[in-house]
Amino acid sequence: MVKTERRYQIEELVYRSCLALDAKDWKSFLDLCDEQFHYTIATFSPEIRKDMVWLDHDKQGMVTLFTNLPRHNSDHSPITRHATVYTVEVDEATSEANVVSAIQVFRTLLDGGATELFAVGRFHDTVKLTDSAAKLARRVVRLETRLLGYGYHVPF
Amino acid sequence: MSKNAAQWSENPGFPQTHYVDSRIYADAAIFAEEREKIFKPSWIIACHESEIQGPFDYRLFNHPTGVPLIVVRGDDSKVRAFYNICPHRGNTILYDPAGNAKRMTCIFHQWSFDTRGNCVDISRADQGYQNRFCKQDASMREVKCEVGCGGFVWVNLDDNAASLGAFVGGAMDILEPFMREPMEVFHFHKAHVRTNFKLWHDTNSEFYHDFLHYFNRITGMMQPGYFDRRYTGFPNGHATVGSMEIRYDKYEGSKDRAVGWPGLAPGGWYMVDLFPGMTYNLRTSVLRIDTAIPLGPNEVIIEFRGLGLKRDTVEERRQRIFDHNMIWGPFGRNLHEDLLAVHGQGRAMRDGTDSRWVIQGREEGGTIHDEVGMRHFYAEWSRRMERPAYDPYREGKPEPVRAAA
Repeated sequence: MVKTERRYQIEELVYRSCLALDAKDWKSFLDLCDEQFHYTIATFSPEIRKDMVWLDHDKQGMVTLFTNLPRHNSDHSPITRHATVYTVEVDEATSEANVVSAIQVFRTLLDGGATELFAVGRFHDTVKLTDSAAKLARRVVRLETRLLGYGYHVPF
Repeated sequence: MSKNAAQWSENPGFPQTHYVDSRIYADAAIFAEEREKIFKPSWIIACHESEIQGPFDYRLFNHPTGVPLIVVRGDDSKVRAFYNICPHRGNTILYDPAGNAKRMTCIFHQWSFDTRGNCVDISRADQGYQNRFCKQDASMREVKCEVGCGGFVWVNLDDNAASLGAFVGGAMDILEPFMREPMEVFHFHKAHVRTNFKLWHDTNSEFYHDFLHYFNRITGMMQPGYFDRRYTGFPNGHATVGSMEIRYDKYEGSKDRAVGWPGLAPGGWYMVDLFPGMTYNLRTSVLRIDTAIPLGPNEVIIEFRGLGLKRDTVEERRQRIFDHNMIWGPFGRNLHEDLLAVHGQGRAMRDGTDSRWVIQGREEGGTIHDEVGMRHFYAEWSRRMERPAYDPYREGKPEPVRAAA
């Protein structure tokens, strides 16, 4: 059983990561990540019956991605990540926790403000724990949604 | 000086081959005609052979005419294509987009078919049909199917169509040296965009829009040789684009390629646009294939495939996937920009917007920013549709006021 305080700390890490990305506050997001952080978006295609990776970066790769964003033409509609932490499993021996969260991503159109469901999936996070902090060491976004219209430049 | 209504409607000052009436992107009647005159008799990519590797493997494909198809590898390893419509009560036979089916059985009344299209079982046939109707009367509708041009499975709904080879002609010659090894699909996704299918194919048929892409500007347009790339037109509306040396190291986050493509120079890039809506795109370490499947005059599904080599090691495949995703994945730098742009065209050209013309007037000796690729497409479109793209309703607009060279 995970101690309430520890679980609260881990849940807050997941939620803060969503808030930072929603706000396009890349620095705050990266501050939540361990130096060994690795980010992946993956999904399964029933059409070709294969697992697919759609985005895969280490921490420096994420920094570069964020740095390049203003140089590109992108959809400027904001997206909002709604996460619910489902399970937290702490391995005291390695001081890591495996965390599974449900994630829904909504996109709000700039003209008129209509909000539409953009994507659903799960966060599979590995969290590195110290006495005082919890940091994201790995995030795998497993998407169920594969039809993303004209796409998006910002990771979920 | 801005234009008033009359000036806005005037023909652009170009030869008739150099502009298009934008109503051809929004008219439902023209779209219905395109399905019949363009898509029905054309060879269309349904999938790749690596998606149906073993006997009884199947793949569903929604043909641009609207016909649902099953592509299946038979017990004899031959690939065939059939309507995914039960000849009994018109139900869908197979529901999942891919799978393995020794028998294809309709869930509705359990009529069953083999992979050669024969009906092999009709539930309680004798009791209901006596001698009036039997399995031999209930075969599936088969359509023409060939495997070629890099192991892709092509279908054609016209029983009298010429061969795939005759349709493609010499357009694939430029890629033939790079497709001698067996390939494998590692990426598949669809994009649903409110735009006309031709606008997507236009985007694949001109490079002037490299101004849209920071990635292409910095790795291509600003590098020597970029403006030497040349378009070549082929019969049936196909076109190819020659190569150059892309400097991927100029984009932060990109890098020298440890994994290339057999025979392709580092930084090489070839494209083949096949009428009416398919594109082969070979660059970095990946072959990308686009297949446009229109759903209406202002609605299209584009199927995107990424392919590597079947013999790839785990590390080689990982690198190809990285290269693919950098520019072409759903979160890639270029694909989102291209889709956003054609989405914008769809917004501006939908029925009722008073959009009038699309200009394809750039002439640069057939090189990279020349719009000859699009002009070549619309010459074929006009021939097949028996109506000129510049005057689709034969309203007899006056000749352009200013003739281009």
